[in-house]
Amino acid sequence: MKAGLRHSLALRITVMFVLVVGLAMAGLGAWLYRAFVAEIERRDDIQLLGKLRQVQILLGRPGAAELLRTRPDFFRDTMSGQENSLVRFVAPDGTVLADINAGGERYPVPRSAGPAPDRAAIIGWTSRHGQPGRVVAGSARLDGGALTVIVARVYGERSAMFARYRERIAAAVAIGALGAALLAALLLRRGLRPLRVVAAHAALVRPGTLAQRLEVEAAPSELRPLVDAFNAMQGRLQDGYARLSGFSADLAHEFRTPVANLLGQSQVMLAQPRSAAEYEQLIASNIEELERLARMIESMLFLARAGQDEVVLARQPLRALDELEKVANFYEGMAEERGLRIECLGGGTVLADPALLRRALANLLSNAVRHAAAGSTVTLSASQRAGATALVVANAGMPIAPAHLAHLFERFYRADPARSEAEGSTGLGLSIVRAIMDLHGGSVDVHSQAGETRFTLVFPAA
Amino acid sequence: MAILVIEDEPKTGDYLQRGLAESGFAVRLARNGRDGLAIAREDEIELVVLDVMLPRMDGWQVLEALRAQPATEQIPVLFLTARDEVQDRVRGLELGADDYLVKPFAFVELVARIRTLLRRGPVREEELIRIGDMDIDVPRRRVRRAGSAIVLTAQEFALLHLLARRQGQVLSRSLIASQVWDMNFDSDTNVIDAAVRRLRRKIDDPFAQKLIHTRRGMGYVCEAQPAAAP
Repeated sequence: MKAGLRHSLALRITVMFVLVVGLAMAGLGAWLYRAFVAEIERRDDIQLLGKLRQVQILLGRPGAAELLRTRPDFFRDTMSGQENSLVRFVAPDGTVLADINAGGERYPVPRSAGPAPDRAAIIGWTSRHGQPGRVVAGSARLDGGALTVIVARVYGERSAMFARYRERIAAAVAIGALGAALLAALLLRRGLRPLRVVAAHAALVRPGTLAQRLEVEAAPSELRPLVDAFNAMQGRLQDGYARLSGFSADLAHEFRTPVANLLGQSQVMLAQPRSAAEYEQLIASNIEELERLARMIESMLFLARAGQDEVVLARQPLRALDELEKVANFYEGMAEERGLRIECLGGGTVLADPALLRRALANLLSNAVRHAAAGSTVTLSASQRAGATALVVANAGMPIAPAHLAHLFERFYRADPARSEAEGSTGLGLSIVRAIMDLHGGSVDVHSQAGETRFTLVFPAA
Repeated sequence: MAILVIEDEPKTGDYLQRGLAESGFAVRLARNGRDGLAIAREDEIELVVLDVMLPRMDGWQVLEALRAQPATEQIPVLFLTARDEVQDRVRGLELGADDYLVKPFAFVELVARIRTLLRRGPVREEELIRIGDMDIDVPRRRVRRAGSAIVLTAQEFALLHLLARRQGQVLSRSLIASQVWDMNFDSDTNVIDAAVRRLRRKIDDPFAQKLIHTRRGMGYVCEAQPAAAP
């Protein structure tokens, strides 16, 4: 039950609903019961006062004293002949003139409340049989003299009536609560139908059905956020799938060309006997192509692992300028051949995995050296920002067209396909930079305008 | 004394056997772990090249069995793995392997690693290296060729020192990048080529006898006489 309560929304709401309805009905029942009891008591009291009044009137008639002496029962009979009615007449000196009390009840005698007592003068008592009784005392005149009349009554049937009434109210509350439970369960089943629709839809989501969306308009307003979130999630999945399958297609394409070359070249060479030098030439050329493929595979694996957070970061504080200079040194030879200078500026520390930091910087510098205008200076700079370290690689040269900028970090995206292919590029360098920055919780940005292209790496300080 | 290669993939096994034999090692080839273990126990084996993915008995089991017996526990083991995952490498090294390579690897890289493992213990770094008519004074970082001094930058000297220290061995570009610049990833090879060209301009260009040679498709080697094979 406890587990069911926690797990079933419908059950939980039904139970709460039944509790609320039950409580409300029980409250209403209790109030009705009390009102009923009060009303009955009020009417009985008024009746009792009426009896007293009647006795008082009778006592005022001629011959009443005689009647009291000879037939006191007559006075009781005026109270509709009820056995439960008790009357006592007491003289001012305390002598009981007459006491009509067949059952021998003992009841308290209140003080006389004068000729016209009201309800406040009535007091209650409990009979020998445990039944409620009421008693009132009033004054009367008899033959010019004063007299106290005490009228009492035992309400034997009242307790039973109240008990029956209580039972009925309890039954009504129980039936009402049960009915409410059934109704609530039924309504909830209907009310929660949109949820089942969402669930059914979710159950059908497959790579091929990602384009389908749930209708937001058809959903109740409470479910809209869920439906919206669900649709957005599906959108992201669809995006991811599209990118993944596009990526697979790109990958196949990237591999097809070099493999075709390897195959073709080798088959052509084998078709005729050739000199050892020619074979050597072929094998060396094959190795170069294969090395590029091996690099591509390594890069792909790195990206796959980085994407699944399987790369373990060995982050440590590093002197930013040292790291820039290390990478600059590495590219010095290549820069020199192209008539470029590499300049390292700035300082501070950067919190990063040294191997990955170098890899990211090397990939950026490799691009910068390739695309820098002849005779220009490639600048590497480090600067501290609020809570972060920014490393910038900037080169002068033809700016990258804005259309390319947004896609630059995508795998296999090449702004200039013909050119990069020839230089042994894998088309994955900038993707790797972005993956490395993601691993560090940092970011990479590119700005290209007015003859300068600058890549900025931002490493958070903590 | 021989090198034992345990490798089930036929082509890989064949080229490893052939290549290592041509590099001057005696080679025994086993196509599965059980045979390999038997050879390691019976024959004089000085190093094991072990593929991790083997049928029946995998490389880790072979490694454990080797380390469990007094006769074989001292043999250096270099393992080959196709899965470049950290836990794989850690596991291999924890089980007592001495080194590893991730497939695909450059063959010259394998030879270099094997030579390092076989040197047994730290080698004393030579202070004076002589190749042909070139003298390298390592502590003073001075280079002379045919009697005249050659001025090198720190990077150029580090590169020359690596090539000279391993003279006669073909060094792959990735090994050079890793040893000289601490760049432990496959960077573009043009960078190394440019650095070597720069060094050659100072070391080789003014002289008739060349000391730094390109082995196309493999890397660079430094030696007085160009040899036929690595």
